[in-house]
Amino acid sequence: MSAQVLQLIVNGVVAGTILAVPAIGLSTIFAVLRFANFALAGHMAIGAFAGYVANAWLGLPAYVAILAAFAAAGIVGIVSDHFGLRPLRNYGALTLAIASIALNLVLENVLRFGFGNRPRDYAIKLVRDWTFGPIRIGPQQLENLAIAVAAMALIFLFLALTTTGKAMRAVADNPILADIKGIDPDRMARFANFIGMGLGGVGGMLVGLDTSVDPLVGFRALLSVFAAAVVGGLGSIPGAAIGGLFIGLAEELSLLALPASYKTAVGFLAILIMLTLRPRGILGERGL
Amino acid sequence: MTSYLVAMATFGTIYALLALSLNVMWGMTGMVNLGLTGFFAVGAYASALLTVRLGMPVAVGFLASMAVASCVAAVTTFGLMRLRDDYLAIVTLGFAEVVRIAGENEIWLTNGTDGISRIPQPLKSTLGPDFNTFYLGLALLVLAIVFFLLERLRLSPFGRVLRAIREDAQMAAVAGKNVLLFKVWAFAIGGLIAGLAGALYGHYTSYIVPELFQPLLTIYIFLALTAGGRGNNWGAAIGAYVVVFFLESTRFLTGILPGISVVQIAAMRELLVGLGLLLVLHVRPYGLMPERLPRLEAPRAPRS
Amino acid sequence: MKSRLQTTRRTLLQGAAALGAGVAFLPRGLRAQASGPIRIAGLVPLTGGGGAFGPNMSLSQKTVVDEVNAAGGLLGRKVELITEDDQTNPEAGVRAARKLIDVDKVSAIMSVWASAVGTAVLPLCWENKVMMLAISAADTIAELPHQGYFVRTQPHTALQGEQFAKFAIDTGTKHLYVMMPQTPFTETVIKGITQICQSKNIKVTSMIYDAKKTSLRSEVDEMMRTTPDTLMIGGYQPDDIVLAKDVFRANYKGRVVGFAYGMTPQFVEGAGAEVTEGMYTIEPIPAAGSTAYGRLQKLLKKDALDTYTCQGYDHANLALLAIAQAKEASGTAIRDNIRKIGDPAGVKVDNAVDGIKLLAEGKKINYEGASGPCKFTDIGNIREVVFRLNQIKAGKILPA
Repeated sequence: MSAQVLQLIVNGVVAGTILAVPAIGLSTIFAVLRFANFALAGHMAIGAFAGYVANAWLGLPAYVAILAAFAAAGIVGIVSDHFGLRPLRNYGALTLAIASIALNLVLENVLRFGFGNRPRDYAIKLVRDWTFGPIRIGPQQLENLAIAVAAMALIFLFLALTTTGKAMRAVADNPILADIKGIDPDRMARFANFIGMGLGGVGGMLVGLDTSVDPLVGFRALLSVFAAAVVGGLGSIPGAAIGGLFIGLAEELSLLALPASYKTAVGFLAILIMLTLRPRGILGERGL
Repeated sequence: MTSYLVAMATFGTIYALLALSLNVMWGMTGMVNLGLTGFFAVGAYASALLTVRLGMPVAVGFLASMAVASCVAAVTTFGLMRLRDDYLAIVTLGFAEVVRIAGENEIWLTNGTDGISRIPQPLKSTLGPDFNTFYLGLALLVLAIVFFLLERLRLSPFGRVLRAIREDAQMAAVAGKNVLLFKVWAFAIGGLIAGLAGALYGHYTSYIVPELFQPLLTIYIFLALTAGGRGNNWGAAIGAYVVVFFLESTRFLTGILPGISVVQIAAMRELLVGLGLLLVLHVRPYGLMPERLPRLEAPRAPRS
Repeated sequence: MKSRLQTTRRTLLQGAAALGAGVAFLPRGLRAQASGPIRIAGLVPLTGGGGAFGPNMSLSQKTVVDEVNAAGGLLGRKVELITEDDQTNPEAGVRAARKLIDVDKVSAIMSVWASAVGTAVLPLCWENKVMMLAISAADTIAELPHQGYFVRTQPHTALQGEQFAKFAIDTGTKHLYVMMPQTPFTETVIKGITQICQSKNIKVTSMIYDAKKTSLRSEVDEMMRTTPDTLMIGGYQPDDIVLAKDVFRANYKGRVVGFAYGMTPQFVEGAGAEVTEGMYTIEPIPAAGSTAYGRLQKLLKKDALDTYTCQGYDHANLALLAIAQAKEASGTAIRDNIRKIGDPAGVKVDNAVDGIKLLAEGKKINYEGASGPCKFTDIGNIREVVFRLNQIKAGKILPA
């Protein structure tokens, strides 16, 4: 394997792990509420701005800013879902998806109203990459990788070990049975939104670190994030993690064959190919 | 002021065609399509390229826009029909992005981000300033024809099968209907109308460019159809005019808010669009004019 | 069923009527331009891809109009600035322009930014005899049959491309790598640079990247593999930031140079001082002796202004001075007089208030703008552009 391909794989893994974080958030919400929530983009932007306020305005260190991003996006996730989407639950997944697009427009413009469109940067010093022979990787990329992996590990532990986590899996697995067992679906919905949108917020901050913080920060990554969740199988958390890696690698490796200007199209092609082979994604659904 | 109203009515008519297109796919058949602007773009480019590059008459451009957009819709969706709704929503969103990216990069064909300008405007030189009124009439005529045909379609056995697929695809399949084929047909018809809307747009403004075809336009059309009443052609058409009216009136309303910056006004306007859509969904989930299902008459007993 | 339908129709009509009534009560409206205030408009991006620029352009236009009004107005009338958002989208731009032309009856539409919006709106301008003062840099716009209703203060791209070739030659570059997103002028710029550089035996490699991606690591890797000694970054602000961060991380040691409209003060702020240290920008500047830039700095209370802010200021000044020169507020008057207020024999002015006063005294004036000398060719392109090479040092963009 040439050094070039190896480098592309390294870049793909790094890009993919960042995509995986919001993709897992999307899948968590889908697993419990069973609709594609497009408001994820707005929540990613909220997370990016919350992290920015914590880090650049209040001078808090990066890891605290990440927690702020999670908490802010998670709380907004609960509130916006409660008022914006919950009353529409009986009208089907499509109505909810459309409503979430409208909600996204609202969130994005609330941020624009408050912060304007000016790009902002975190008060985190950018560090030069390390080189190992022909391969280049940055300490910040490794940190992002660690944050992403830690977030995923925490979610897995939460779902596997806690009562609430187990209840959420039960709802995802069979909502009717869970209802009979006395699991409160509203409570589960709130948990799913908090965790899902919280992860979206962390993802938004990670994307913001590579780009800049502005109201469109989530929207720019949305198509790739959705591609990751779909390829992995909507509703499956391990699937979203694998899907993120898959899209990250596909986008970077596409440079070997396609002009760089077509990169955004690669996610779409990846979905098409995957879904033709496996219409329910790599791991199928309901793997929460 | 009159010419402004005429122009906005023309935009409203083009939006109405798009809403009718979405109504065939989503309202009647239940297949969500977030890539509507992709088909709109294909139609606009087909007509513009034929009339500008090959010097063909505008009428040929219109026909070609329908044929090409319809074929593209049928072919690209053929592989997607097995997908469940959520997947379809995301894949179609991706489709529109790919159309836009291809439009930007395949410069040999589309002239790239420069766009295609000087698209012929029918009878412009003869009519002069009356062109705008004439074009509104033309657009309304097109809308009326499409509307009439779609109403016929809706009430026909074909329309019934589409609704059956929307309510329960499995049941329709059990009843012996080739669900896949019907879905491809619905997309082909929807694509045809969206393509026609694209051609109407291009020959009206005389300029198209890939940047035109952004997801926000699809959101407006969803707003139109949701506000009007999914499944109802009247609702789709009227909803489109309501949306244009709403979008334009926010321009005037924000002018009376003192003490906020221009970017905040712009944010308020988009915010109002989002809130408007949410509000309609909450208050009237089936739209202002909900679908009226044609009454089915029980087959009479055969006379002996 | 029937009665239900009627109610829904009625509700709909009531709703429409209510909104319509709201519109009718608004102050702006149908009064003709001959009396009442003189109306000019800014059609700028406030949302969408160009959203970072519109607010400042609008702000600088507003300071001009406020100053003129405070000094007693123009031709004895008040000046009114109307700002509309083009959403960085030609469709929304055309709708907004329709409103400005048909309802507000403006004489000029200023600071149209995206080339696509400019190309879409220009036909409306010339058909309705409204002057467009634009930024849009695509070469093709000026070639439309606009009958003179178009000038732009942004140097068209062929001019800008030459500057990068010149930079490569002056710095002794052996291999120039050009990274640009797909824009209306990408092809022209790359072709122009390649032509000049090859005649001087400078190797040119180019890559067109996807401006929407959130990381450009692999693209930067590909650039690094060819070991160029000069890298030209030809994007807009958002993707320039992503690219600059990745170039920094990759530890690229060569020279980096870009358009000043992409590498703005906001770019430096967004990417950080360390990342942008030592990068060069090529910027069109006012002719020597122009004071407009310094004046605008004071008015806006900002150290560094991006070129769009300056161009917004110039557009408002040019439109109002042309009206003052013509003693008539119309698009045609602006078209016919915009070149007269740049009379080399006239008194040099850097703002509309002084210029209006001098014109009223019957003197000739020569407006020198904040973005450049603001002299136009017959098809509306900017003439006699002076370019300056800047270098970013410790977070400040300084003349190199």
